[in-house]
Amino acid sequence: MPISIRFLDLKVNDAYTNMAVDEAITKARGEGKAPDTLRFYMWKPSAVTLGYFQSVEDEVNLEALQRFGFNLNRRISGGGAVLNSERGEITYSIVLKEDDPRVSTDPIESYHYLCLGIIEALAVLGIKADFKPINDIVVAGKKISGNAQIRRYGAVLHHGTLLVDFDAREMFGVLKISKEKLSDKMIQQAEDRVTTIRRLLGRQIGFPEVRDALEKGYRKALDVKLAKAELTPYEEGLIKHFRERYASKDWIYRR
Amino acid sequence: MKRFEYKVPGGKLLRAKLEVEAGKIRVIQLTGDFFMQPETDLEELEARLIGSPADFATIESAISEFFSAKKTVITGACPADFAFVINQAIRI
Repeated sequence: MPISIRFLDLKVNDAYTNMAVDEAITKARGEGKAPDTLRFYMWKPSAVTLGYFQSVEDEVNLEALQRFGFNLNRRISGGGAVLNSERGEITYSIVLKEDDPRVSTDPIESYHYLCLGIIEALAVLGIKADFKPINDIVVAGKKISGNAQIRRYGAVLHHGTLLVDFDAREMFGVLKISKEKLSDKMIQQAEDRVTTIRRLLGRQIGFPEVRDALEKGYRKALDVKLAKAELTPYEEGLIKHFRERYASKDWIYRR
Repeated sequence: MKRFEYKVPGGKLLRAKLEVEAGKIRVIQLTGDFFMQPETDLEELEARLIGSPADFATIESAISEFFSAKKTVITGACPADFAFVINQAIRI
C-alpha cells in the first residue's frame, strides 16, 4: 500500500506569493508541522525568476521586462534565470524531510530522483524524456524542464518548471541569453536549445491535460498516493511574512 | 569594474566582478547559476576576499581553505573554478 503525501493542486498566484508558499511549506515540513508535499502552481503575471546567486544586471533586460509588464523575482535556490510565463508553463514543488531515505545526499542523485515525476508525466503524454545532470530534463537533447533544490529548515525543497508553450520574443526579450543584440538569428539558435510539450505533440494541449499527466507521473515515480489538501493556518501565516521579503527591492536586487 | 565569466565544463556559469587597488581586492562580487549550500557562504567568502592580495596563489589557497573549513556543498563548480574566474578577472 503506497504511502500518502499531501497534494496542493494547481493554483495561480503572483511570483512573490509563489515563492513564499514554497518556503513556508519547506519550513513547516522541517519543523514537522506539515506533511510531505507535492504542489502544482502557475504564475500571474509572468515573472523572470533569478537563481539566488545571479545578478539582475547580468540576467535581465529590465526595459523589456517593464514593456511586457512582468514581475522580477528571486528564488532562495540557486540555478539559472527562467521566465515563468503565465501562458507557457506549469511549475511544481516537492518538499520532503531532509533526512528522508528516498532523497540521496548526493546532489545529482537527488535531482534525478525528484525529476522522475516529470519524466513519467511526459511519458504519459507520449513523450520520451531524460534527466540531464545537473538539473535539467531534456527531450532529444532539448531542454523542457529546469529544476532547483535547496535544503533548509531541515527539509529539502525541489522546485522546477515544465515548458508547455513558449514565446521566443518574450523569453529572449527579457532574459539576457547572450550579450549580442536580439536578432532573429539569435532567437533561432536559442530556440533550438529548448522545446515544449505543444511543439512535441503538434497540438494545443490544454493545461488541465498537462496537470493530469503530472499527477499521474508523480504518483507513479514516487509510488505515493496524492491526498488533496490545503495549506495549514501555520503555513498561511508564514506566507504573509515571507511574501514581504520576496517582494522587497532589497531581496530582488541583492545581487 | 573588471569582469570575467566562465562556464565550467559539464557544470555551471561563474562570473567575477571586481576592482583591484594597490595590489589588493577592493570590491568583489561572484555570481552565476551554480548551487551552493549554505548559500550565505558566498557572501562570507566575498567579504573575506576584500583586502586580500590580488595574486593567484593567495586567492586560490584562501578559497580552498574557506570552503573546506565551512564544508560548503557546491554543485556545478568547484573551489578551484572560483579561484580561476577571480584570477582571470584580475588579469583583465
